[in-house]
Amino acid sequence: MKHKILIIAGLALFFSVVTYIAHDLFSNSSVKYSKSNPYEYDIQHLNKFDSVSVSYNENLAFRPQMLEMHGVATDYSDRIYVAGNKFLEIFTKTGNLLKRIALDGNALCITIDPDKNILLGMEDRIEILDMDGKLKEKWEPVSQSSIITSISSDGKNVFVADAGLTSVYQYDISGKLIGHIGDKDPHRGIPGFVVPSPYFDLGISGINEFWVANPGRHLMEKFDFEGNLIKSWGITSMEIEGFCGCCNPSHFTILKDGSFVTSEKGIERVKIYTSEGKLKCVVALPQSFKEGTRGLDLCVDSKDRIIVLDPVKKMVRVFAPNIDSKNNN
Amino acid sequence: MRKKAILFLLFLLTLFQSMESFAKQRFPKPEFESAYTQPETLQPGPRYELLAYLDVLVLLSTLSLISWLILKKRSRKGVFWISIFSLAYFGFYREGCVCSIGAIQNVSLGLFYSAYTLPFTALAFFVIPLVFTLFYGRTFCAGVCPFGAMQDLVAIQPQKMGSRLNSVLGLLPYLYLGLAVLYAATGTDFIICRYDPFVGIFRLNASFGMFVFAGILLGSGVFIARPYCRFLCPYGVILNWFSRFSKKHMTITPANCIQCKLCENTCPYDAINIPITVKNPETKQELLKKFILICILIPVLIAAGGYTGSKLHTTLAEVNPRVRLAKAVMDPVKMQEKPESYEIKAFKSSGKPAKQLLEETNEILRKFYIGGWLLGGFMGLTFGLLIAGRLITNYNPDYVPNKGTCLSCNRCIEYCPVKV
Repeated sequence: MKHKILIIAGLALFFSVVTYIAHDLFSNSSVKYSKSNPYEYDIQHLNKFDSVSVSYNENLAFRPQMLEMHGVATDYSDRIYVAGNKFLEIFTKTGNLLKRIALDGNALCITIDPDKNILLGMEDRIEILDMDGKLKEKWEPVSQSSIITSISSDGKNVFVADAGLTSVYQYDISGKLIGHIGDKDPHRGIPGFVVPSPYFDLGISGINEFWVANPGRHLMEKFDFEGNLIKSWGITSMEIEGFCGCCNPSHFTILKDGSFVTSEKGIERVKIYTSEGKLKCVVALPQSFKEGTRGLDLCVDSKDRIIVLDPVKKMVRVFAPNIDSKNNN
Repeated sequence: MRKKAILFLLFLLTLFQSMESFAKQRFPKPEFESAYTQPETLQPGPRYELLAYLDVLVLLSTLSLISWLILKKRSRKGVFWISIFSLAYFGFYREGCVCSIGAIQNVSLGLFYSAYTLPFTALAFFVIPLVFTLFYGRTFCAGVCPFGAMQDLVAIQPQKMGSRLNSVLGLLPYLYLGLAVLYAATGTDFIICRYDPFVGIFRLNASFGMFVFAGILLGSGVFIARPYCRFLCPYGVILNWFSRFSKKHMTITPANCIQCKLCENTCPYDAINIPITVKNPETKQELLKKFILICILIPVLIAAGGYTGSKLHTTLAEVNPRVRLAKAVMDPVKMQEKPESYEIKAFKSSGKPAKQLLEETNEILRKFYIGGWLLGGFMGLTFGLLIAGRLITNYNPDYVPNKGTCLSCNRCIEYCPVKV
């Protein structure tokens, strides 16, 4: 009896294997058709986040009159500057156009320095304009291979991020090159920048802390003006608290309290981190942007409104904390 | 028994190592917009030629050694240790590829598709075991094939199944062989590789489904010794044919059989022929009747099988991805019912007219029509020979291994009290 049971058990298992093979081989062919490309690099599932964690509302959006836009900045009176191909447009904080300035070329980044100068990182040079848009100075690039992606100034120094040569240049206000910051230097404990694509941002906080995004390493790095690496933060993760992809964060700006606002590409999202690098809240999730949006440049105004340049929708989008989260905070 | 249990436990431990660890997807594909030049996609090259020859050399050496151990030394232990080596080398080190079983498909494709260059190693792995089998029986199955070695480790409580059940189940490998040749020859698929139960374990990357698939097969192997080898292995069919003509097959007894019956129940594969002595020999008339019956039956079965196969050719052809695509593209009702598949999208974007796809499909169907006849005829012949085998009584006075099904494992030898 036991012998028979064992044979039946063995045969049952064996036939389940044979049945599986036969079924898999001859089952309805249409079922086998994949609904999606099996070789596609699909990250859609990573774009789904809990919208409850979003603490900001988009309460203003306006469209600059230019086809290509790259940089956004605010000044001391919260006017909004949008730089792009052949034009610089200045708006009031409510989005009304104040001035349109023609440029000689494509502006890739912009900042307003404490001395009320408009600093523009053009494709092949740096231009300094007064507040009326008159050209004051023009600096030549370091190299023909330079791709200037970010510019910032504390009034004495001008820092320029060059994604083409993967370096940060420090100039004095007259345009004299003082040196490089952040280049790989094992003796000084500087790992160097990794910039696989032309998204390489830098910024200076209200208390003169100089920060550079090291996108290939998914880090924010703080340097002193002598080029010493002071500290860094950032984790690599597909989760909301981290950065992922080849090069993120692509852009950042710093709030009055020292918190960081970051934007990413790949998984398009805007988040706020504390000054220590802990995720504080989410400003906008991927569903707020068109898939494939890149180049979400950021700036903040005196009310800590977050201004996001959306080059795909061709809009300037202003986010403010929603009341509930403000009360909770 | 205890030794087997320890080996089984060790084997289970190795299976746990093969569980897939799910890597975290870290990077979306980067886009490079600067002057960066994308590197050229590199195709992994074939195994270094010298190492490919080494594989053939190892195959030759292990076959020579195991044949010597089986026939000259009559050593079960030797066979066991060779099988462990084969499991390690051909299984885990060479990751189950190239293997003689899968080489059937390479050879079939090489024969029917002139553009395909048959790799030397595939040919060597196909031919060398056959040559050895023709001389020494299925010594390859005894301990050189890693599939067999793996199943041998789990055969803890093998049960005798009886000749009828063995014969009926023994038809499955013929069908599998026929289908494998048909699909390889038509360039459809390498189904032996597709349903290879152990390769995922050898490569330590088995998906959960394949792990379960192999686990179930090995589970059945606890009670039915070597189920894959006996009732699925298509290469075993060819080895079976060659082994029947082997010159020096292993014998249970080294001298004359003393009919002690000690070996009768020792074979886990039911491959020992029990003595049948001529007590009441059949009359000439009875033999003639059987002969006529067989002569009529076999052609009828071949024709019936061929006809059935030809009628099933569209079903058989649906395994072909081109035919499946054509079926989906030409069926507007299904097209509307279901969301468009990636394959259909890819076809549409290729700009190829549907008429061309239809012509290609018709050509494939034509091949399957011929293939269906051949496959059905082959199965009819196999079934006819099975019936003929049961009609004809082979008289033999001694306990002898069945040359076709004996896997030359040497288990029975240990029980034979006759020593030389």
